[in-house]
Amino acid sequence: MRRLNDVVVDSVTKRFEDTVAVDNLSISVAQGELFGLLGPNGAGKSTLTKMISGMLNPTSGTIKVGKYSIQDDPMKVKELLGVVPQDIVLYDYLNARENLAFYGRLYGLSGKKLKNRINELLQFTQLDEKAVKRHVSTYSGGMKRRVNIAAALLHEPQVLLLDEPTAGLDPQNKHALWDIIEDLKKQRKTIVLTTHMMDEAEELCDRVAIMDHGKIIALGSPSQLVKKVKMENTITVVPDKISPSLIEQIKGITGVKNTYIAPDENEKIEAIKVITDCPDDILPDIVSTIVNTGTKVLSVQLSRVTLEDVFITLTGRSLRE
Amino acid sequence: MSLKRSINQIAAVAKTDFLGVLRNKTAIFFTLLFPLFFIVIIGFTFGQSGEADMSRISIGVVNLDGEMIALNATDSSNSTIGDIFVEALESANFTVTGYGEYGYRDTNGTAAYAISRGDIDAVLVIPANFTETITFLYTDDLGASVPTVSHLELIVDPTDSTGAMITQQSVFGFISAFIKEYHEIVIEQFPSYLQDYIEVVADPLIVTTSEAEVTEAELKWIDYMVPGTLGLVLIWSGLNHASMTIATERTKGTFQRMVIAPVYPTVVLLGKLLSALAIVYMSAFIMLLSGVLLFQVNLYWDIPVIILGIFLGALSAIGIGLIISSLAKNEEAANSISVIISVPLQFFIGAFFPLSIMPAAAEAFGNALPFTKLVTAMQDVMTRNLPFDAVIPEILYLAASGVILFLIGTIAYRITLRRL
Ligand SMILES: Nc1ncnc2c1ncn2[C@@H]1O[C@H](COP(=O)(O)OP(=O)(O)OP(=O)(O)O)[C@@H](O)[C@H]1O
Ligand SMILES: [Mg+2]
Repeated sequence: MRRLNDVVVDSVTKRFEDTVAVDNLSISVAQGELFGLLGPNGAGKSTLTKMISGMLNPTSGTIKVGKYSIQDDPMKVKELLGVVPQDIVLYDYLNARENLAFYGRLYGLSGKKLKNRINELLQFTQLDEKAVKRHVSTYSGGMKRRVNIAAALLHEPQVLLLDEPTAGLDPQNKHALWDIIEDLKKQRKTIVLTTHMMDEAEELCDRVAIMDHGKIIALGSPSQLVKKVKMENTITVVPDKISPSLIEQIKGITGVKNTYIAPDENEKIEAIKVITDCPDDILPDIVSTIVNTGTKVLSVQLSRVTLEDVFITLTGRSLRE
Repeated sequence: MSLKRSINQIAAVAKTDFLGVLRNKTAIFFTLLFPLFFIVIIGFTFGQSGEADMSRISIGVVNLDGEMIALNATDSSNSTIGDIFVEALESANFTVTGYGEYGYRDTNGTAAYAISRGDIDAVLVIPANFTETITFLYTDDLGASVPTVSHLELIVDPTDSTGAMITQQSVFGFISAFIKEYHEIVIEQFPSYLQDYIEVVADPLIVTTSEAEVTEAELKWIDYMVPGTLGLVLIWSGLNHASMTIATERTKGTFQRMVIAPVYPTVVLLGKLLSALAIVYMSAFIMLLSGVLLFQVNLYWDIPVIILGIFLGALSAIGIGLIISSLAKNEEAANSISVIISVPLQFFIGAFFPLSIMPAAAEAFGNALPFTKLVTAMQDVMTRNLPFDAVIPEILYLAASGVILFLIGTIAYRITLRRL
């Protein structure tokens, strides 16, 4: 069965006075897919999201959400969409519950139904009951981000646009929000996730479009994208002694492409370098092979090819520049 | 989309907007307390002129009442009432100095000389026929009293317009009280068969002053000031709030977030209108209540007319606010524009002082403002106790300008939507 597309962007261009923020761009996001837009600052990610949500009109091109065109049926599209803006867009002087009630009412909820839905979402986003009563202006960044997301979920939208939902958070809060996003994916929501963090894209997305200067410069699953670059994952192991038979044994492990001896960075000791396509799977095998010969492992280091490397290879620049 | 859903959305927008003012100290100050602050400062500084310290007001009196005049074909030089009037001025605690003549600026010893040097605040010229007029001594061939006008002239110092106004209001208050009292006493002294008749002719007998505006007894400046603050309410709570609300939400992004929800722009606008009206009425209530409590003003409460007037005036204010909101790039710009407009505007609406003391162009400008119309209408209704039909022209003007300005505001709002 052919999978339905929930978001179809067709040859869309957005021109501001002197910049082309989105340049003749097309994407299709399948139902239930978590689609990532990865790109550096100013790549045009937010502009694209804003056009899908109907906040900005494209200079040219068409956008469909579900079976509706945003240009012809804006109200239908708006019902289908839940939008989490990049900036935290909440009323500072209201508490979390009041903010959610406001957005819920905009989406047509009221009374008991609204109240129940707010409670569900406060639980879903793990906002604690006491804090919820304070004004949003007193919240930590992590709490604000949670409310910012919850406000887009009240009407149980099928399609979610998340624009850098974890921006500015510490790793702990970031991972907590990733769990929330993964839960949403389990609910079979179609999600367009914007980010400039490669780990976020790698961790969460089914497919990633790498954007630069308003264009898509690479598109595929994270592992497909990584394969496109001529770089290799390298495991560096430092044992207390190295024998040729040990090297042979390691070469025999399935998944190992090549093994050689190289001086370690401090040059006094030697290290074994292992080249592989699946570093996570074979790392335990390598370590146990070494240990089984009665040799001690002094250190292990894994250097993995990331989407960051993909971006650098394609543009010659880093994502964070 | 159902009506019920739209109403729920309008209520949500209005509630959130309203809480934005109630829970924000700066907004509370500018939209609610700023006008109150004005009335308190100004009220306590000048407002109590009815009983306040009159000795600070120094009046030069040129009493011509003793001069010879022709009365009913004979000569008369009665000065009784003029003298009593001067004594009464003194006992009302004005600082009174007598002068023989008004004279000329450069003639030492004349009233004109004194006022030009700031020694006195005003000159009051009591005309030669003062006693004769006020005691109904003018009669026809049959001996019946003939209504006559006696011209009391008050000359104020034009270089100190605020002081002049205070002096003027105080002296007017005094004169009306004096004349009212005096008529009653005089009428009693007539033979009883003549009293009814005198009562009738006494009415048209008014003592005019050269700049007279006030004819009712003992009205204080604050009595005009308090209904006048409703014009300030329109500016500070209506115009100012309306120009800030959408610009602020646009800067914060909450406006954009509303627009991407399935909400018709008109729904947002109606919610904002509702909240702005609530703020205006709340502010009006606070102002009137504090006027009554702080200054014990005596006002007449024609509630429906007051509510109607404020509503129509608020439409104009909110319309202008919407225009500012859409002209402004962001919250800060909206705030600057609105303050730059509001601060001077409040002096052109006749709330603090009468427009008649302003230069002709300024007076014409002030008179064209809907806020001025509200001030006038509210003073007529609440202070002068005039009936509704006396303020119909103002109400019509307010209605027309309200509809027009709100429509332009709506168009400006629509344009805002296109550049989020
Ligand atoms: N309203 C606007 N007027 C003019 N230029 C704009 C406007 N909005 C965005 N741009 C420009 O369009 C380009 C893309 O901006 P956009 O916000 O879409 O980037 P982004 O990929 O979301 O970046 P970031 O990671 O910083 O959020 C930038 O050069 C930006 O300056
Ligand atoms: Mg962005």
